[in-house]
Amino acid sequence: MSPHHIKDNINSFNASISFNNVSNNYTMADEKSEILAWLSPLGPQRRHKDIRTRRVDKVGDWLFQTEEYRNWIGGIQGGKSDGSALFCYGGPGVGKTYIR
Amino acid sequence: MLEGSKALLISCDISSLVIDTLCKQAVDENAAVACFYFDFATHEEQSPAVILGSVLKQVVYGLEEVPERIVKAFRDREKVIGGQSLALAEIVEFLQDISSSRRTFICIDALDECPPTHRVQLLDSLYQTLQNSSGARIFLTGRQHILGEVDKHLAGRVASRSIIPTKEDIIIFLQAKLKEDTMQDAMEESLEKEIIESIPETVSEV
Repeated sequence: MSPHHIKDNINSFNASISFNNVSNNYTMADEKSEILAWLSPLGPQRRHKDIRTRRVDKVGDWLFQTEEYRNWIGGIQGGKSDGSALFCYGGPGVGKTYIR
Repeated sequence: MLEGSKALLISCDISSLVIDTLCKQAVDENAAVACFYFDFATHEEQSPAVILGSVLKQVVYGLEEVPERIVKAFRDREKVIGGQSLALAEIVEFLQDISSSRRTFICIDALDECPPTHRVQLLDSLYQTLQNSSGARIFLTGRQHILGEVDKHLAGRVASRSIIPTKEDIIIFLQAKLKEDTMQDAMEESLEKEIIESIPETVSEV
């Protein structure tokens, strides 16, 4: 093995030691972000922000006044539901709503 | 001209509206809000474990401390090369745990875009999450053709509501879009009024 290779090996050995030292000194915050990354690599909040930007304020606000929504947010039983889930559906054309 | 109204009130708008409103309330109530938007265009796998894994991540993010059971699962898996991820059943259990002591809103948008086999599994997992968990609330959007399936798999749990834009929605939407018009001068007030007045009372769908 050439001296050059030995030097390289020592360097990478040192690098791994310092890496290990870092990992031994993990703070709780570091572990939390590692756990979060492990739970999921996805960040759907970004998509939410994109949609938020192009959405027009006040459009659809009537939903909050409907009985279905009020029951759901209040966890109140109504009809077939115990108030724990709400499904909002559009007709087959939702997303393609035209005015005739 | 009215082609633009195609994007008037699609499911992601409703989801986004509800999520924003929930987030505002969540601050006062110390509740958690997590969302997932289905997307046909993405090439990433959107399996129930991926979706609920993302939901769990958002819920845990809002907690001051990561629940001990999750920390333990993470440390155990870390020893395995590649850091094996959680199974769907474990994710559901953790969601159940957290939402039994904390109001937890789970919003999933455009469920109809989820492949049918995944969809059934996802609905069953959501149903399970609601078991023994008084704090979990689920909000879903999607097209009408999956209504029967949602009713069946969330039986006794789910209420449904159709979303059709109201005349008021259309007026607010058009006024906002007309304001954005780059050729401001071409749009006279009288023409704007004429357009708004020509909106029919009912909206028909194609």
